[in-house]
Amino acid sequence: MASVTYDKASRIYPGSEKPAVDSLDLQIADGEFLVLVGPSGCGKSTSLRMLAGLEDVDRGSIRIGDRDVTNLKSKDRDIAMVFQSYALYPHMTVGDNMGFALKIAGVGKDEIAQRVREAAKILDLGDFLDRKPKALSGGQRQRVAMGRAIVRSPQVFCMDEPLSNLDAKLRVQTRTQIAALQRRLGTTTVYVTHDQVEAMTMGDRVAVLRAGILEQCDTPLRLYQEPANVFVAGFIGSPGMNIAEFRIEDGHAVLGRARLPLTTTALSALSAEGADHVVVGFRPEALDVVTAQDAGAFPVDVGVVEELGSDAFLHGTLPELREPSGPLGDNIVARVDPAHPPAKGEQVHLRIQPGKEHLFSPSTGLRLPT
Amino acid sequence: MSTTLERSREDVQPPGPPAGGALRRSADWARRAPLLPALVFMIVVTQLPFVITLVISFMNWNAYYPDERGFAGFDNYVNVLTDVATRDAIIVTIELTVVVVLVSLVLGMLIALLLDRKFLGRGAVRTMMITPFLVVPVAAALLWKHALFNPEYGLLNGGLTWIWGLFGSDDPPQPDWITMAPLASIEIALIWQWTPFMMLILLAGLQSRPLDVIEAARIDGASAWQIFRYMTFPHLRRYLELGALLGAIYIVQTFDAVFVITSGGLGTANLPYTIYQTFYTAHDYGLASAAGVITVIGTILIATLALRTVSTLFEEENAR
Repeated sequence: MASVTYDKASRIYPGSEKPAVDSLDLQIADGEFLVLVGPSGCGKSTSLRMLAGLEDVDRGSIRIGDRDVTNLKSKDRDIAMVFQSYALYPHMTVGDNMGFALKIAGVGKDEIAQRVREAAKILDLGDFLDRKPKALSGGQRQRVAMGRAIVRSPQVFCMDEPLSNLDAKLRVQTRTQIAALQRRLGTTTVYVTHDQVEAMTMGDRVAVLRAGILEQCDTPLRLYQEPANVFVAGFIGSPGMNIAEFRIEDGHAVLGRARLPLTTTALSALSAEGADHVVVGFRPEALDVVTAQDAGAFPVDVGVVEELGSDAFLHGTLPELREPSGPLGDNIVARVDPAHPPAKGEQVHLRIQPGKEHLFSPSTGLRLPT
Repeated sequence: MSTTLERSREDVQPPGPPAGGALRRSADWARRAPLLPALVFMIVVTQLPFVITLVISFMNWNAYYPDERGFAGFDNYVNVLTDVATRDAIIVTIELTVVVVLVSLVLGMLIALLLDRKFLGRGAVRTMMITPFLVVPVAAALLWKHALFNPEYGLLNGGLTWIWGLFGSDDPPQPDWITMAPLASIEIALIWQWTPFMMLILLAGLQSRPLDVIEAARIDGASAWQIFRYMTFPHLRRYLELGALLGAIYIVQTFDAVFVITSGGLGTANLPYTIYQTFYTAHDYGLASAAGVITVIGTILIATLALRTVSTLFEEENAR
């Protein structure tokens, strides 16, 4: 067991000026489950591979516990990794796959057999120990890859999108199993995924990366409730947050007929920047269907209604706006009562629940105080 | 069989054009006809000679005894297998094949491992490493015999003279390499030619190695040697088998090197060379044909194994 520290760690691929990972500063506590999430090419896998010793650290350092592992080889770092492709040894049986690291470490045959059996029992692989990976299903291969990691009882687990090769249903199932297994073993885990739902459901904390830069690292709930900038706000949450640029008019943020009162702290922060616009974000569930007479209500043409049973999401456009006014264009998503969803083509009026809006600076994209 | 099939098809579709069957048949022929010359050519060139050889192998046919020509049954085969000279030739063939295949496999693997690394000018070096395989076999044999092994002006003895000269000696050893080790000389020339072939196959094998498995092994604590021992080598096994079998098929048939370097003397005559001698020197066409058929049977055995290896290789690639 150990903590993991990235200390201004950078990775610059040869032949490229721009770092793939740019001065990553991250402290991962002992026993914590940290998820690295971000769009593809954001450097999340590179960060993990730096920890695993599969990529060089060009600047800064990485520590496991108090040990500086920056220049250590993978084999001396005492970590285990689960690959996206599982990377099982194709010519070895499941049992040999799981016991390989112990065999290399010179552990006795009886102890290897015993530890492999224990791990196989945890993962429900007992009947497959003599099979070759070829003869296993995707889910079983994934479990063998997990087994290969836990047999070693390493200081840190590195997991690189271990679920992305599974079908949707199995992915949800395995997601909870991995999280539960990690809690039970209490091993520090760094988990990479591009799927923000996976990130939110599994991690103790989630680190959001974009273009090699750490945007925010916090608990899933705080990421959702207090995104530090526009990128995190748009990335976390499904369906995504509605983000649009509003004009500032006498203490209100205005877009078409939508009017939001702004607090004095927000206003003073904006005037310090000299901005006459503000970026406003509001989640689909922060919208209420109201009548046209309600204050702050704005009309929306219903395009599509996604009915999921427990929820229904309305995808609509603002008829008053001809030009796109933000990252989402003039599209708007709202959660509506699944029992009474509006019909396609209908016009409804929506209102942003007071206090549920997120304000961001139009120049820096950072969150504004409210 | 095909006519009945076509007729039944015609019966099924009465409203078709009246001459549909005939039209289709002529269209089929129009498609097949251009292939016919190639087919005939192939049969004439490859299959007929073999059938004739097969027939002759059962005949008593020696040009020196033209009156005794006739059917001989299995006499020729019995002679081939009991004759001391041909039996020796079989042993020489096996020894030659095994030594050349094994040594060139080991050398090929070492070179392939080196060439698999990244270094400046890798493409040029790889191309140059392949050239021995591209040299015409007779030319290669001549090169070894005259440019390298020759005791008077060969490079090997020249090198010895130079090295001894460095230490101030004007009495360097000047061995007659081919006389000293005739079979080894042929083997060395063949190994030089076949190592690039093995290297190519093994390099392809090395490059199809899944990188993530190697990374997983590194994280599991394996050293470079252990990665080779537990990951690379098992992965290369099929490629080694393939190289060995393909190489064996060709080296069993070696004629050029034996003919050029020793002319089959000093106990280096292998089966193809013995067949050549029986045919062109002894003019015993029946015996030569029987020996040829035996060689073909041996080669087919090896080839079957080779094909089986190749197909398992493909299956594995597909399963991935």
